[in-house]
Amino acid sequence: MKILAIDTSTDCTSIALISDGKVLQSARHQDPLAHGETLPKLVANLKSELHDLDLVAVGMGPGPFTGLRSGIAFAQSFALAKGIPWVGVNSLDALAKQFAEPEFIVQVDARRKEVFYSRYKDGKAISAPAVCQLKQLEPLNLPIHIGFPDPIHIAELALHQNINEPIYVRRPDAFPAPKGVKFRPISQLDLVEIAALEIEIFEVDPWSIEQIKSEYAAPGRFYLVAEVAGKVAGYAGIVKRGESGDVLTLAVAPQARRKGIGRELLRRLIDWARTNKCEALMLEVRVGNEEAAPLYQSFGFIEISRRTNYYGAGLDAIVMRKDF
Amino acid sequence: MPLILGIETSCDETAVGIVRDRTLLANVISSSVDEHARFGGVVPEIASRAHLEAMPHVIQRALDEAKVTLKEIDGFAVTAGPGLIGALLVGTSAASGLALALDKPIYGVNHLSAHIAVDALNRKGEIPPAIALLVSGGHSSILQVNDLTNDVKILGSTIDDAAGEAFDKVARIMDLPFPGGPSIDREAKSGDKFAIEFPRGLSSTKDLEDHKFDFSFSGLKTAVARYLAQTPNYLRADVSASFQEAIVDVLLNKALKAAQESGIDNLIIAGGVAANSRLREAATERCEKLGVALHIPTPALCTDNGAMVAALGSLAVEKGLEPSQIGFEVSPQFEGFAPRR
Repeated sequence: MKILAIDTSTDCTSIALISDGKVLQSARHQDPLAHGETLPKLVANLKSELHDLDLVAVGMGPGPFTGLRSGIAFAQSFALAKGIPWVGVNSLDALAKQFAEPEFIVQVDARRKEVFYSRYKDGKAISAPAVCQLKQLEPLNLPIHIGFPDPIHIAELALHQNINEPIYVRRPDAFPAPKGVKFRPISQLDLVEIAALEIEIFEVDPWSIEQIKSEYAAPGRFYLVAEVAGKVAGYAGIVKRGESGDVLTLAVAPQARRKGIGRELLRRLIDWARTNKCEALMLEVRVGNEEAAPLYQSFGFIEISRRTNYYGAGLDAIVMRKDF
Repeated sequence: MPLILGIETSCDETAVGIVRDRTLLANVISSSVDEHARFGGVVPEIASRAHLEAMPHVIQRALDEAKVTLKEIDGFAVTAGPGLIGALLVGTSAASGLALALDKPIYGVNHLSAHIAVDALNRKGEIPPAIALLVSGGHSSILQVNDLTNDVKILGSTIDDAAGEAFDKVARIMDLPFPGGPSIDREAKSGDKFAIEFPRGLSSTKDLEDHKFDFSFSGLKTAVARYLAQTPNYLRADVSASFQEAIVDVLLNKALKAAQESGIDNLIIAGGVAANSRLREAATERCEKLGVALHIPTPALCTDNGAMVAALGSLAVEKGLEPSQIGFEVSPQFEGFAPRR
């Protein structure tokens, strides 16, 4: 079995030609902005050896998108033209093969002061690739490794994995503003509607009109509502305490969900926190609130602790934090 | 009889064309325009993701349409700029993969040259010098094309918005869907193009001294916005028709002036805006009057496509140009009009 293995998920463009587990040739070049130009050159240098290939194996990331896509696009079309299959593998899994501790984390640069990472135990990944700031991984007290995936491991994994799509982890930055929804600061006239929604959404301990009124009027708060056809469809609030922001509430009416209203409310809270120079943003989410947690994760929040009985007996909260 | 496959991914169209000599065999386009419509403009990361997803299918469909196999292809051409860098790299990486696997030459070409080269399809013999009016969402230029692969002079370009951009922005103020060009074209059909007198940018005597062949559309956009704000019951059709007329008028004034002054009696109009029905109609009338031969591709070959890239690749082979080196430069800008070294 002769494999051309490629990885462009880090600053390095790496390739290797492997035959039955033996490396015939390998090459690598480090330049974070030149995968597209470098990869064809490295492969061209192997020209005399490129006959009788059986498979192209390529790292699918996670990693900075532009370089990653260059490697995948090249691998796909190279295989197509050779009339052989191509197989995509998880680049973090390949990187993890360089380390042997019982439990550890591997990370690669994700730009914007963040890293893509996965956690491994006894040689197996115990978490899906995710993104956060490096310092957020430190409290886990595990060895944290950085490096470049070795194409030999990419080839090895190609015999067990088959990933068809790039592992982006992050969504594209642009989100369409939900159609027909107006976002505006809260007003006194919203209080009755919000109190009704509180009862509908939060079975345990909903805020009363008086509570809401004193909440939003308190200094340093920022509350906004999402309005659909003249009615309140969602609302959210935030406060700055010390150096960090605290999401006080975020709620969307049941009939207005799955339209991106929650996402847009959260995005606006994050903007507010950034403008007000918060160093971090905290929030609590009820254990079992499956809809909310992925939304927060997609904006870079990660779990830092749990609070027992936070929402009443048996209702624990997950505390999440996003650093700026 | 070289068989050339061309790949274009500089913006939001994933496109592959196949050309034998100057005969078009296949032109397949997969567009992510619907995904961008929600944002009112092209989102680079969304475009790049869509390119990677579509690429293998678009290549395969083009091969099927042309009834050829990859092994028969004699050479590859791909847009190497100008364009969105992340989008371009998907195309150049795919094209490099094909070329290396098959050990065939590859040409990294200029997107703007390709728009002009599409006119060579189905034409025989020597291609005469021409004035090219290149108008799209990203570009608005007048070029003097003596020889597309090695002698092109830029006579003028826009100093602010591109013409297509002006269409998008004005459409957005009037709540017409993205992309703005086709929306306004449709709306204008039932409107009066003389209803409102919108300004023709850089057309005053003084501007003509410094910017004879340059364009400016940002003032026009502001004039439309001001008119809409001051006219509560405006007629969208009339505004569309009058705005469109202002753009078409200034584009043709300057392009035909360039033709007259240079003594070149061929005018090529290319790029997405060349699909505009009023521009095509007015260009036909005015060129006829002046005895200028008008070359304007079918609307499907005006917007971004792979056939134009393949056509340029084919011209490069015809002229015996050296292929680009493996790992040629890919960048958002592209100086010069010849293929990359």
